[in-house]
Amino acid sequence: MAEPYDVIIVGSGAGGGMSAYHLTKSGLKVLMLEAGRNYDPLTETPMFNIPAQAPLRGTGTPDKPFGFYDATVDGGWQVPNEPYTVAEGSEFLWWRPRMLGGRTNHWGRISLRFGPYDFKPHSRDGLGYDWPITYDDLAPWYDKVERLIGVTGRAQGLENTPDSPEGCLLPPPPPRAFEAFVSRGFEAMGIPVAAMHGAVLTQPLNGRAQCIFATPCGRGCSIRANFQSTTVLLPPAMETGNLTIRTDALVYQVDLDKAGKATGVSFVDRKTGQHHNARARAIVLAAGSGETARILLNSRSSLFPDGLCNGTGKVGRYLMDTVGANAAGQFPALENLPPTNDDGMGVEHVYVPWWGYSKQNRKEMSFPRGYHIEIGGGRSMPSVGIGRIIADDEVSVGPALRQKLRARYGSVMSFAGRGEMIPNEDTFCELDPTVKDKWGIPVLRFHWKWSEHETRQAAHMVQTFLEVIDKLGGKPAPGIETDGKKAISKGGEIIHEVGTARMGATEDQSVVNQYGQSWAVKNLFITDGAVMVSSPDKNPTLSILALSWRSADHLANLAKRGEL
Amino acid sequence: MSDYVSRIDRRTALAWLSAVGAAGATNAGVVTSAVAAGGLAVKGYGTDPDLMNPVVPWPRTLTKDQLNACAHLCDHILPAEGAAPSASALGVPDFIDEWVSAPYPDQVRDRPGLIEGLAALDKAAALLGAPSFTGAAPAQRAEILAAWPKASPLFFKRFRALTVGAYYTTREGFKDIGYIGNVARTSDPGPSPEVQAHLDRELKKLGL
Repeated sequence: MAEPYDVIIVGSGAGGGMSAYHLTKSGLKVLMLEAGRNYDPLTETPMFNIPAQAPLRGTGTPDKPFGFYDATVDGGWQVPNEPYTVAEGSEFLWWRPRMLGGRTNHWGRISLRFGPYDFKPHSRDGLGYDWPITYDDLAPWYDKVERLIGVTGRAQGLENTPDSPEGCLLPPPPPRAFEAFVSRGFEAMGIPVAAMHGAVLTQPLNGRAQCIFATPCGRGCSIRANFQSTTVLLPPAMETGNLTIRTDALVYQVDLDKAGKATGVSFVDRKTGQHHNARARAIVLAAGSGETARILLNSRSSLFPDGLCNGTGKVGRYLMDTVGANAAGQFPALENLPPTNDDGMGVEHVYVPWWGYSKQNRKEMSFPRGYHIEIGGGRSMPSVGIGRIIADDEVSVGPALRQKLRARYGSVMSFAGRGEMIPNEDTFCELDPTVKDKWGIPVLRFHWKWSEHETRQAAHMVQTFLEVIDKLGGKPAPGIETDGKKAISKGGEIIHEVGTARMGATEDQSVVNQYGQSWAVKNLFITDGAVMVSSPDKNPTLSILALSWRSADHLANLAKRGEL
Repeated sequence: MSDYVSRIDRRTALAWLSAVGAAGATNAGVVTSAVAAGGLAVKGYGTDPDLMNPVVPWPRTLTKDQLNACAHLCDHILPAEGAAPSASALGVPDFIDEWVSAPYPDQVRDRPGLIEGLAALDKAAALLGAPSFTGAAPAQRAEILAAWPKASPLFFKRFRALTVGAYYTTREGFKDIGYIGNVARTSDPGPSPEVQAHLDRELKKLGL
């Protein structure tokens, strides 16, 4: 590739898309390299398709683990030709797509700001590590992101659950029937329920249409009413004329000159198997926390024998995922509800922010960090598993069966706890010593261990769910696991893997500085979740966007000053 | 009951044929199975199927007699009632065929129980002196169906779950169960007064 670029961005999801948006608007010539294929949500989203039109009624399969219509191309828990391994005694799942826009195409679109405590967790309870920045450093970037992509929500004045300044958020839709119902249960337990912050347009914004309150966001959105990198960030970046995108380009190495400055990247074209190089004045890695670490570890040279930026062995370390535990209940009070349209805005309309900060501060809880609760339910589009609303021990057929199904439809609610994990020394990724992908590139091996901080939190989640189910007169689904060690999700399963190249105040304790700029290679930046120092319960995407924008702005300023 | 008539339209049938023809030439799927098609390797739809024009690329494997038996069973579970069509009228036997013929692990695991369950119906018919389940007199079949949940509880539950799942994922099923979504709206007004009144009544009963 002959053309000289100012910046190469590896990855096109939240981190890469946001960096491309800002750098191209700043006048820099950018080459984006995406490992997956080109993807166009405007023509590829099966908006109104129903399960009956899909193979196996759309049920999940190893080819499409989240269902036939899920907007994940060539991926899921396994990507063809690109294995990963898991160390003995560990369990880890790694969700990867191979498509333009990455996981922003199918993500849950819950968009919660981290709070002031979340940036200084070690100062607060002595565990984990502090960020080199405060909430106030990132707040203006959260404001900008919310105004750009469109996020619902409302100021609620809750502890460590930041309200946005006036004009940042879009009005949240009203709670749906089951959400109004479950809110009363939580409130009776003294637990506040809040309007969801969801990346969905409840009003037109920046030339994009508002939500039609139908069709699942996980399929993507052909009218661009929710946030996807492919509909919100990449089109305006392309309009600048400064962005070139090359898809099917699997980057595996950052190339250096003799002085140790980055000159470009090496990649393999997934379709032809040909190896290529591209050159630029600066490199941005935003391939996802796992893949970004893999590229660094595979970039070995005499200057960096253990991998790039890995002089103190921090690359791959401090890997985190969100803690997850689930339960469901069936609620007689919701039976025979008059028909009501629960399609909503695609994201939950309400959620339960963590309510125990003060108790934890007084050391009155058996675990140090918080979780929030996501609630599913309502009269959603029936799936092939709808028969599960009938109890296993009853055998009705014919009119009696129809009657039961009509009565119980929409009366089941599910509860998902999503909590903070504290990074630990036993949880990390490294290069597998023997296994390579189809193109001969060493793959990642994951090590995973939950500590009691997490398993006790998971147990508390389940107890809370059982309490609210009871309070609302519900029947818990059979087989709910109350032992936190068994109830807890597998590492990676919540698909919030972050860490692996964290930011810090000093070179010996981190891989990059507060702007995502590598300590070891000054013209190498990281703008995905790899830079995160802690992983609060708040889903990471909104923070990845804010951090990426802040980093890209720093990079653009360096370029303007001729300091790249 | 006359022979079950497949509800698969001509376009879908042609798509199946062409997909089966192409399956050997491409290498799309990560999943193959030697079980589903009686020893022939069968591919799934792969990790990047056309979501706008879905096709089922694997051949269906049930015999005509097995399909007829499925029609009897699913219509026993969900016969026509009022405006709601019967399960066979919505093509549920075709779905059962698609399911048991699929190359994916869950479906491959399901297949033996369902095939053996269908065979057990013929044995039950033989005990009553009938040539087969589908060839039995209506009264004999009714007797077999009445005994079904107790005679083969696992087969019954699995078949009923699949029938219910296939039925209620159609537009007719949506209508019957009261799903009124999947339509574009200009706003989400929240629960109607009628729905709110139901909630208020129930919350009051719960002391909330």
